[in-house]
Amino acid sequence: MINLAYKDIAHSYLKFIVTAMGVGMLLGIVLIMIGVYRGMIVDAEVLLEDIGADLWIVQEDTLGPFAQSSRIHEDLKDTLKVNPDIAKTAALTFLNLQIKTPSGVMKRVYAVGYDPFGEIVALNPKRLVAGRGLQKSHYEIVVPVKLGFTLGDRIKLGRNIYTVVGMTKGVVSSGGDPALFVSLKDSQELQFLYSNARIRNDRARGLKVQADTHLVNAIVATLKPGREAKKVATSIERWKHLSAFTANEERNILTKNVIETASKQIGMFTIILVLVSTIIIALIIYTMTLEKIKEIAIMKLIGLPNVMIMKMIVQETLALGILAFIFGNLFAHMIWDKFPKRVVLLFGDAWILFGIVLVASVIASLFGVYKAIKADPRAAIGG
Amino acid sequence: MGDIGIKVEHLTKIFGSGENEVRVLEDASFEVKKGEFAALVAPSGAGKTTLLMMLGCVIEPTSGKIWLGEELVWDEDHWSIPDTRRIRREKIGFIFQAHYLIPFLTIIENVELIPLVNGWPKAQAQKKAMELLEYFEIADKKDAMPSQLSGGQNQRAAIARALSNEPQIILADEPTAALDMERAVKVVKLLRKIVEEQNVAIIMVTHDERLLPYCDKILTIQNRKVVTTTPSEHLIV
Repeated sequence: MINLAYKDIAHSYLKFIVTAMGVGMLLGIVLIMIGVYRGMIVDAEVLLEDIGADLWIVQEDTLGPFAQSSRIHEDLKDTLKVNPDIAKTAALTFLNLQIKTPSGVMKRVYAVGYDPFGEIVALNPKRLVAGRGLQKSHYEIVVPVKLGFTLGDRIKLGRNIYTVVGMTKGVVSSGGDPALFVSLKDSQELQFLYSNARIRNDRARGLKVQADTHLVNAIVATLKPGREAKKVATSIERWKHLSAFTANEERNILTKNVIETASKQIGMFTIILVLVSTIIIALIIYTMTLEKIKEIAIMKLIGLPNVMIMKMIVQETLALGILAFIFGNLFAHMIWDKFPKRVVLLFGDAWILFGIVLVASVIASLFGVYKAIKADPRAAIGG
Repeated sequence: MGDIGIKVEHLTKIFGSGENEVRVLEDASFEVKKGEFAALVAPSGAGKTTLLMMLGCVIEPTSGKIWLGEELVWDEDHWSIPDTRRIRREKIGFIFQAHYLIPFLTIIENVELIPLVNGWPKAQAQKKAMELLEYFEIADKKDAMPSQLSGGQNQRAAIARALSNEPQIILADEPTAALDMERAVKVVKLLRKIVEEQNVAIIMVTHDERLLPYCDKILTIQNRKVVTTTPSEHLIV
């Protein structure tokens, strides 16, 4: 049997391909939007995964350090170490900074402070693409490669000048800002030490000068094998007047409290784009059917069954959807790395979109099918 | 009964109702035998196309009976075979003023389409299509698209398509209207040849009285009735 859809497409393949490319670009944007959403989740969890702690201990009644401000004493890491369930502890600081890149542009970065000699190191060695991690307590810095620095560059932060000793790729804050690493002592000064002018001003006002920089934003801990994280967290909260979260709870805080609104926004855009794509496919198929209405009337007049005409329209719609999906994937893979924040394109998402496109195409084809069924064979005859 | 191509008895077609009622045909009866070439002649608006569409099972008559061959297809108020498209693709061949070939199919695909839909094996449908294209001397154009052929070649391809399902009747709606006299005569002679060689009944709507001598009988719509005459009687009248 002659495949009418194939014949019709082959007859005007150029027009069909250009149309599919147009719809494909729209689907490509849908894929990118999904990728941005996935990227947000990955970004949110990068530091959690790299630090690999079982427990996050923060200021009492806060959801710190990512969702809420938290300040606790650094020495709590030693106090907590006494707990027989805890294997290792480390103090960490997290701070947003503006840094001047070699090209002179101010960039927002996320500074992570950790003790290079501590039991838990925040910098995952796998992230290093050049140089090394921190090996001194002061004035060394590991920066993201995308900022444009080279090894040995000197960067002024606060009162001090830091030397670039390593460069990382893929480490970002939950908000997607590139993360850099400094020693705990340096980061404490950056975050908690007032400037000389401020100290003089406080003295002049008769205020007690805040000189204690031995504060951190969170203590992380790993547990001894077989220990139940939730149980240990409850115990810490009860006796130490702190808030303690398991790794899963911290992950939930990040995804629910920190990026939920943004991800919902992206989700809404994605849904709207899928709807718009469906409507556009429907309009294209409807127009394509209208262009063929005379031929359809002839087909009906010479006796072609409705099912054959419907099959032609549905097959053309599916072909358009599938081709647009392929173009959409190509388009998305061509542009994904041009976006400033992480875009994660997953096969699973692409297949789900493929399913949606197929269903949307079939729904869209109903408009064309309806028009074809309504076509009057008398329209083929003059007089 | 064995040689009936088309038989119509007491055929009535009324459009609308009440004040908007339009009676197009009333109690019309006629017959065209197999191997007969009939011309349907009437002024514009007299109901030629309506009659042709009723014979082609495209629109429903109000009452009366229509036989295609030996089969009663319309019986007073219903189609005897609900799937009227099956009747069309199995028993009727259509020829129009324009060729109306499907533009995205090649010439041979246009011709073999209906036999294939009728369930013919591919080889048989192709053989039949090639025979017809050779008969109409356009076999060398079988793989061309309609847009690549001249008007005359396309019209011959359209006639080949009308014959591809070996129909019992051919309904031709002003097939020569767009042609000059020389080409019009060629087409009518071709239809005449088909009638004689393939024993089909042809009803051709025409306004051109110069083509009537090629026909066996003339069907004229007068006062909503169909009057049957011979070409000589018609021209004398």
